[in-house]
Amino acid sequence: MNIELTSVTRTFGGNRAVDGVSLDAGPGVLGLLGPNGAGKTSLLRMLATVLPPSSGEVRLLDRDPRHAADRREIRRRLGYLPQNLGYYPAFTVVEFIEYFALLKEVPPARVPKAVATAVERVDLGGKAKSRLRTLSGGMLRRVGIAQAIVNDPDLLLLDEPTAGLDPEQRVGFRALLRSLGEASTVVVSTHLVEDVGAACSEVALMDAGHIVFRGTPAELIARGEGHGVGDAPLERGYSAVLTAARNGSVAA
Amino acid sequence: MTAPDDSKPGLDGIDVSGIDLRRVWTGVAAEVWRRQPGRVERIATRLLRSPGLARALVTTPSLLVPWLISTVVVFVIGGALTLAGEPLVWLIAPVAAALGIAYAYGPGVDPAWELACSMAVSDRMVLLVRSVAVFAVNAFLGLAVSVVSYWVIGPAAHGATGRAAGQAVAVTFAWLLPMTAICALTLAVAVATRSASAGAATGVVAWCTTVLVTRAITSGELTAAVTNSMTYLPYLAVAACAVAVIGFGTRTQRGAL
Amino acid sequence: MDDDELIMRLAGGDDGALRELFTRHAPVLAVRLRAVLPPSDVEDVLQETFLAAWKGARSYQPDARAGGWLWGIARRQAALLLRRRGPATAPLPEVLADGLPNPPIPNDFGESVATNAQLAAAAATLSPVEREVWQLMYIEDRSLAEVSKLTGVPEGTVKSRAHRVRRQLRAALGGGLR
Repeated sequence: MNIELTSVTRTFGGNRAVDGVSLDAGPGVLGLLGPNGAGKTSLLRMLATVLPPSSGEVRLLDRDPRHAADRREIRRRLGYLPQNLGYYPAFTVVEFIEYFALLKEVPPARVPKAVATAVERVDLGGKAKSRLRTLSGGMLRRVGIAQAIVNDPDLLLLDEPTAGLDPEQRVGFRALLRSLGEASTVVVSTHLVEDVGAACSEVALMDAGHIVFRGTPAELIARGEGHGVGDAPLERGYSAVLTAARNGSVAA
Repeated sequence: MTAPDDSKPGLDGIDVSGIDLRRVWTGVAAEVWRRQPGRVERIATRLLRSPGLARALVTTPSLLVPWLISTVVVFVIGGALTLAGEPLVWLIAPVAAALGIAYAYGPGVDPAWELACSMAVSDRMVLLVRSVAVFAVNAFLGLAVSVVSYWVIGPAAHGATGRAAGQAVAVTFAWLLPMTAICALTLAVAVATRSASAGAATGVVAWCTTVLVTRAITSGELTAAVTNSMTYLPYLAVAACAVAVIGFGTRTQRGAL
Repeated sequence: MDDDELIMRLAGGDDGALRELFTRHAPVLAVRLRAVLPPSDVEDVLQETFLAAWKGARSYQPDARAGGWLWGIARRQAALLLRRRGPATAPLPEVLADGLPNPPIPNDFGESVATNAQLAAAAATLSPVEREVWQLMYIEDRSLAEVSKLTGVPEGTVKSRAHRVRRQLRAALGGGLR
């Protein structure tokens, strides 16, 4: 298992953003769905070792991120795309990705090939030497995805990766996700249900800090049968599970 | 994401007799796009034993050429101008260094801060290396200009005012201690407030206040902020407290970003 | 934009022009080289060809014979590759001369080349990380610790990748590698 969370909680002041979440995940693509404020970003930040839990146990890639040496090793094998990623306007695409490859301690001899591979995988080869300040929002998001995958991570965490991508780019991105999920654990946090259905082998639905559903997209669709809210089967399943959770039923 | 460009044939899916042209192109692109580190970066890599830290160091905003040139100009002006017979390096150096430190690194100045916090090369190490480097560069520039000013302007001015040689030397060199305190305070505020501007403003205001207050306390001696030995212990205390705040503020056990 | 203009832009440092040139000419060069070289060697020669074109674009004389210019570079790179292999390798076949679109594979090319070609074809079935282990451990003969250090992954991970490599190559070659 690349992710092992046991009763993990994270509080900010009086607010429990993540409340007693237990989660195991191995290779594959796990979609993390939920409304705004459900705790998805806080959970992802804990998986990215950027935020420690207030209580509970976290194990990533068979290591304990509380220990400095383990945390460093986890971060070498981790890829993370935050929800709001700023950029260095004067850097070129290649410079930006290379910078984070070096900070991830990718061996220097491997960096040029790793950067070129990442750039090509996100289809930014034609903009490799362009300054970031000249790129559109969708291109910048692809730069963010490229830096996340440059070190060929075993654990890849993507928070709203398709923000700003046009429909064709989103189709390409889902194909990339599926190929990445063959050998690595990929967690994709999104509020776009259709992204989850197309690319994820498993789905977890969060609400008010809890995981209220864990299963395959087909199982989520099945939960929505007979439910009236939603234009598509996955949306109906999503809506049905949320409604049941808020009405007090244990849906997970 | 691997969809080819519509306007021309792409590299996807071309498999010529078992040859992966996409892989070939990636190998070509890796060499064409490869960045050659400069001499400073190569030396830093050897000294720091970390290519990532070295790259972070040479990309410090307040160590880039335009900023360095501005700093040199400010110091030279400070060395050329005098007030009450003293070159103004002692007055300018703490402020110049504090501004450099405030804009070296941290949540207030790094737009990719959250991502940087997830890196194997820790953000704390980057902060330390950059701060030390900015401080060292400013200290070196200040000392160089200060020594030159002392020899060019100092003796004549000192003779005219009857100032003791020891006090003149203190003005030439002793600003390093208040500079340390002001830089530490600036960095502490920048880390705690996650704002480089707040840190910079605090540093400037704190130094101006220190100069004016010590002048008032010592009955009008302008350079008391650096020459009066009663100020040394408070400077050390401020620096120590600020370092503690920085250490606490950059720990991994932190709250919302 | 024609090839001459592309190469002029190449000379000015336009990597987009190199990409376009590659897209236009690499497939043809690959076919011509594949007739006499195994796939992995073709890839190496192609890579060196376009890097040489990138570095030497300024020496190109515009005459609408970009294809011939590139083929000349490819032949030289192939010759260098074969010479590096040492005297056991056959000399550069005449089929790498100009003008022959799809020459037959010569039948005196040597058993070692056929084996190399089989191995290279089998290695092409590996994933990128497995191919890297294959290259470092079995071609460059590096130790487990060296490979772990070079690739930045734990030795345990390298071992399991090497195991997968051996298993896949055994399957692809029908037995032979332990």
